[in-house]
Amino acid sequence: MAYYAIKGGEEAIKNSLDFYGDITKESEKLDDKDLIEGLTYSIDRVISEGSLYTKKLAAQAIKRSAGDLLNASFFLRAHRSSCQRIGIAKTVDINDMRLTRRISSAFKDIEGGQLLGPSNDYEIKLLVDLENIETNIEEYSTKDNIIKSAMSPLREDNLIKILPKEDKPWDITRSYPTEPYPRSAVLQVMARAETGSLLCVGYTTMRGYGDIHPTIGDLRIGELDIEFTHPFTKNEVKVGSIEATAVECVGTFNQDEDGDTKLTTGFGFCFGKNETKAISMSMIDLSLYNTHYSVGGEHIIAADFDMIMHHLDGIESFGMTNHFKLPHYVTFQTDYQIFKSAQKYTDDKKEEEKGLAK
Amino acid sequence: MRYAFLDEEAKKEIRRSILKAIAIPGYIVGFASRELPVARGWGTGGLQVTLAIINEEDTLKVIDQGCDGSVNAVNIRNFIKSVTKVNTTTKTLDASIIQTRHRVPEIDLQEGQTLVYQVPMPDILETVEPNISKAKLLHANADYSKLWVLLYEDTSMYGDSRISNRYPVMVNDRYAMDPSPIPKYDTPKLNDCKALQLFGAGREKKIYAIPPYTKVEPLKFEDREFKVENFDGKACARCGSVHSFLDEVYDDEGKATYYCNDTDYCDTQKEKQGNN
Repeated sequence: MAYYAIKGGEEAIKNSLDFYGDITKESEKLDDKDLIEGLTYSIDRVISEGSLYTKKLAAQAIKRSAGDLLNASFFLRAHRSSCQRIGIAKTVDINDMRLTRRISSAFKDIEGGQLLGPSNDYEIKLLVDLENIETNIEEYSTKDNIIKSAMSPLREDNLIKILPKEDKPWDITRSYPTEPYPRSAVLQVMARAETGSLLCVGYTTMRGYGDIHPTIGDLRIGELDIEFTHPFTKNEVKVGSIEATAVECVGTFNQDEDGDTKLTTGFGFCFGKNETKAISMSMIDLSLYNTHYSVGGEHIIAADFDMIMHHLDGIESFGMTNHFKLPHYVTFQTDYQIFKSAQKYTDDKKEEEKGLAK
Repeated sequence: MRYAFLDEEAKKEIRRSILKAIAIPGYIVGFASRELPVARGWGTGGLQVTLAIINEEDTLKVIDQGCDGSVNAVNIRNFIKSVTKVNTTTKTLDASIIQTRHRVPEIDLQEGQTLVYQVPMPDILETVEPNISKAKLLHANADYSKLWVLLYEDTSMYGDSRISNRYPVMVNDRYAMDPSPIPKYDTPKLNDCKALQLFGAGREKKIYAIPPYTKVEPLKFEDREFKVENFDGKACARCGSVHSFLDEVYDDEGKATYYCNDTDYCDTQKEKQGNN
């Protein structure tokens, strides 16, 4: 009987999970280590969007969701809510990064040189192997490579517009701000944003919806030490290190509030190796805080704080989009009734008009 | 696992937001909104409110679209039970906390009960003013002219508002509020309700409330009657009720039959008739 179709949810969930388990069970056989080392970019994407730096749990999350990375990030976010916070680590400085890759498109010659590091930017993307290509791995030093940002000289020469520093960074996981959104909160939203969403909005600044002319001043991937004040000894102790991507992009120039002509920059930072994400983030940051430096109009998507703060989170947009799978027959029933009475009203009116015309 | 899943700081923050919401009926209070093991848009706002207020002595009921047995309701109830060990019930009158999606129970709520709504869109002004900052200003000035214009345009075109569910209400003569996607049928039940009504929107990070015995009126022109869904001439094919919101169910021949949407209400009616 149709009435009972809606009941029996308990059994339906179990069966559905059994089926899901059936088609995803092969993923459980994968080794965590293989995922962490083998699918390193997947892991990095999940820790970045899941906003929890744990490669081990990310590997488990990827297995649980059989490679659906947004779903995997969702597992991490949920896990994050059950972790008690014990304190806040010291702020990291990207200039202290032990670099594995660092490039600048703005300058040909930079301190420390261009360090291509691991990248497949210049790979010919063919699934078949091209023969006769020899690979020679260049000798490289294992010494820590710590070089400050290629943008530092310009900043030191006071050529770059510097935004006011906040006394204490906002924490969007503890209180969500309303307008005016502090920059620290905006950057956090972007740091844990869904890569594709961020890329899409960042892309708008390049075509049709603003023109901020970004040049990558400094793109870096490397390791940063995390230091924490020991609760008893009060000494700064190293509690671990994280791998992260940071980008500083340079925009066009304009006059600042004091009438000085300054260059503008945008900043992007996220966990793991996520170059596209960090670049997109830096462009949006540039666009948000320098609208009147933009060659295009000021009213562009990537310069709208509400747009950025509320539409970039993958876990949220994914959940809401998937909620349409839930039943909506109560709302649809009432929609349908309203539709029928509106239809009757307009039909009656038409009849009435016809009557008058005669 | 911590009691009620959320860490203590989170629960404290949510409780403070709830208290503020109760103090200013219909006013939207922001909160941080934690991620839960349930997807955004699937009731995480209601869940966070429930998890923040629930304790061992509570009896919990969860409904989705009027039913305790639908998958989302089952899922949420099982999750809350697994992290709190509270007793659960399907009986409206036995519950101290009822978490709901899309319906207000048919049976009148009582003092001491709390109805927690899962809210997808907390701000009723969103339809007419998508910019949150501007909408906040409109609320501050009690400027609901855009909603009235929408209502006027619909009324002139279609004889009534086209809004079927989440019909705007005025709370305590001050704030226009989104009552969550309940059908118009349920809107009058919000007024002067004996129970505390809490609204949680997880994705949008907002909490609001209607304290017991608060005036709640649908937004309506003085010379227009507020019309709810009409089930005249129809009765539940199971319990015979003519005083409940009915689901239209089609059989294989395409013939429509009607059943109570609130399954607990339907069961109660059957029990009363003594032939269950």
